[in-house]
Amino acid sequence: MAFTDVLVNFWPRLLHGLGLTLLLTGVSAVLAAAISLPLAVFRTNASAKAQLPLRVYISFMRGTPLLGQLFLIYYGSGQFRPALQEVGLWTFFRDPFNCAILAFTLNSVAYQIEILRGGLMGVPAGQIEAAKAVGMNRLQAYRRIILPHTYRIAQPALGNEIILLMKGSAVASVITIFDLMGETKTIFAKTFDFSIYLWAAVIYLVLTAVFVRAWRYLEKLLNPHLAGHAPAGALHPVMGMR
Amino acid sequence: MNNDVSTTLVVEDIHKSFGPVEVLKGISLIAREHDVISILGASGSGKSTFLRCINLLEMPTSGRIHLHGDHIEIVKDRHGNSRPKDQRQVEHMRTKLGMVFQQFNLWTHMTVLENVMEGPVTVLKQPKAEARERAEAMLARVGLSERKNFYPSGLSGGQQQRVAIARALCMEPDVMLFDEPTSALDPELVGEVLQVMRKLAEEGRTMIVVTHEMGFARDVSTEVVFLHKGQIEEQGPPEAMFKEQKSDRFRQFLSKVR
Repeated sequence: MAFTDVLVNFWPRLLHGLGLTLLLTGVSAVLAAAISLPLAVFRTNASAKAQLPLRVYISFMRGTPLLGQLFLIYYGSGQFRPALQEVGLWTFFRDPFNCAILAFTLNSVAYQIEILRGGLMGVPAGQIEAAKAVGMNRLQAYRRIILPHTYRIAQPALGNEIILLMKGSAVASVITIFDLMGETKTIFAKTFDFSIYLWAAVIYLVLTAVFVRAWRYLEKLLNPHLAGHAPAGALHPVMGMR
Repeated sequence: MNNDVSTTLVVEDIHKSFGPVEVLKGISLIAREHDVISILGASGSGKSTFLRCINLLEMPTSGRIHLHGDHIEIVKDRHGNSRPKDQRQVEHMRTKLGMVFQQFNLWTHMTVLENVMEGPVTVLKQPKAEARERAEAMLARVGLSERKNFYPSGLSGGQQQRVAIARALCMEPDVMLFDEPTSALDPELVGEVLQVMRKLAEEGRTMIVVTHEMGFARDVSTEVVFLHKGQIEEQGPPEAMFKEQKSDRFRQFLSKVR
């Protein structure tokens, strides 16, 4: 039995699983990005008292395992079935895919809020003062000056979060979702060919590598003002700090 | 309030405290059209804070500011913090006060041209084509046409400061505020910025300049204000003030910087 047999026989299923992994990750990451922005702005501006609930939420999401959060939503919602049926939400929670999207989004929101908060606080004060000085109101200053800086600062960390989310999405396989991990498990159950796990690992690895490349390219596009000022081969100052 | 027709900017009784420390103890200033007022003072005298209070980048603890139709009043909110009575009016007034910072503060993610166009397009809602044309003309005036597509990080400090001046001018302000515009520059770059400022003064721009450049204060300004510990210690036309000092502190200050 060749090492590649299982791949040759089952690649359509792996491809389907890969598609579902991309969908889970993509939808959750984008939803979380949309939700976390206003919350991050709130987190940096509101009084300590007003943002206490948000901080509790962030602590909970960052302090408990993603798998536990997924169980809480998927199995937990079953406990409240009559109530959920009454408000018409049961059809949503009945579907494990929806539950996974919800769990991943809620989890990623917590991380992305903190990443964006770091970005918001990292915007140089002078940039904001210049915006105020030409008479921009808050909305204009955020839209034109503060957020463009914030996302440039936060972009590498956001990429990291998306990679973690992508790999974390493998836990969806335990609630009967046939993502890449889910498909891999069922193929193994049929064939008892252990090499399928290695192939799955390779696919995750390639996926991450491609994403990292794309994200770096985006970083370059976002930062034309940083390009080409250091002489070729020059080290960033940080690299000399040993 | 002064009702003199030529009065452009009236700043009345500005107080500012940082916690228990009162850094401005009631400063008033009137700028008439074409005035060039130099504000001098030792480090910690409150001169930069005062300038930043005029366009409310620093919130005065109390005081009033009048600029043509805009009257800014400082009120206390229920927590006892000072705030402007009407934020919209503050934003409108800022469009009429061009600010030039010590550290230039050009927006680093925008090109030179985009920096200069930003205010007119976003705040004044000018059509882009029109704003671009005026921005290019303004850059030509400060001698930086060929750098319009550079990012600020590719310019020298003196060039960045000239762009910052062009950016402020493009808003067509009534008064230009300069906060130590040459203090962050290498000595050989100071001249090019002062030259632009001199030109503006000759054109009759109303300017308030916090500076350590005694030559500029003496030769270009129409009025000199010397601050000491948050109060106006001496004030008058530059010829008189540089010839004979009424206050000992101003005399001491001059003997140290000259």
